Amino acid sequence: MTMLTAAMSESMTDTTTAEVAATTDAALARSAAAGDAGAFESIYRRHAGRVHGVIVRLVGAQGVRAEDLTQEAFVRAWQALPKFRFESAVSTWLHRLAVTTALMELRSRRGGPRFDEDEDALDGLGMADSAGNGTALSMDLERAVATLPPRARAVLVLHDVEGWKHEEIANELGMAVGSSKAQLHRARQLLRGRLGGEA
Amino acid sequence: MNTHNDNAHDNGVHDNGTQVDETLRWQLRGLRRDLEPQADLWPGIAARIAAAPQQAATVGKSRVRRFAPWAMAASVLLAVGVVWQMMPAAQPQAPADNPMIRQQAVSMALDYERAFAHLQQADTHPEMHGAFGELDRSAAQILSAIDADPSATFLLEQLRRTYARRLQLTQRAVMT
Repeated sequence: MTMLTAAMSESMTDTTTAEVAATTDAALARSAAAGDAGAFESIYRRHAGRVHGVIVRLVGAQGVRAEDLTQEAFVRAWQALPKFRFESAVSTWLHRLAVTTALMELRSRRGGPRFDEDEDALDGLGMADSAGNGTALSMDLERAVATLPPRARAVLVLHDVEGWKHEEIANELGMAVGSSKAQLHRARQLLRGRLGGEA
Repeated sequence: MNTHNDNAHDNGVHDNGTQVDETLRWQLRGLRRDLEPQADLWPGIAARIAAAPQQAATVGKSRVRRFAPWAMAASVLLAVGVVWQMMPAAQPQAPADNPMIRQQAVSMALDYERAFAHLQQADTHPEMHGAFGELDRSAAQILSAIDADPSATFLLEQLRRTYARRLQLTQRAVMT
């Protein structure tokens, strides 16, 4: 992206750049919705990092599985694009689709030990392999988040990292709003414990 | 009932250590960042979408609905045309990096996108989709080019022509 002139305010620059990105996305999405795989590849190139990022945060960076889910999210996006109404930004739509894909994976594991409520049985599961990324502090935090029980982690990630509201989380996870709040409280407590109160 | 307490928890006000919670929340927000997959996933996606049919777009509910988007598109076309006429003649010596061009491009693109969104609710002929795709792709490329070179005034005219053509084709597809 080209830098704008200094005469333009910082916020104006950000707004305009975001709008250009959004309109470019919309044009590409419209083309992809009509079957243009080349346009869809451009969408993939532009959004793979964002989509993969949120999936990793929700399911843990367990190598191939997170990448499988990212691939799955884009295939679903391709299939659903003709029905996309352009009422939200393409990036917002993709982000939500990525969350849904990751949560479906978590739900499918619900009967197994990883989606149980017993966090003691979950220590050590879902460790994020974040070596080489970020500071030591954020690595510790990422690892601590990754060791949370899946349901608590999902609520914490959606609320505290992604900025979702409890109503949205409850709707997506099929739980009561109060349960979402309780899970968040529990997740923060667990996190503080795992970080040794250094957060 | 317990809303206050829940909100208090959300805000970290009454949890153990207000400062600790606030710091933790800021650190958590910092985890929101892009993460590129280690492998290029596109070949796998391309193979799957080649075999995966797209869901059929929702077509117009009735012929009555066809004329509302048409009217909307016509008014947008007129509005865009008027704004275009009112714009100062393309500066032959545009500044090296002209934010106005980007703003005009965005404004134009948003107007047309709104019109297309309305038209999309109406029936269109499938055989036109190829042409739509070409024009949408061109528009996206021009927008990217403007983003990369905001001094290129000719791109704005190119974008307007592309969108006008797209709208014209869409209108034709809806009307017939």
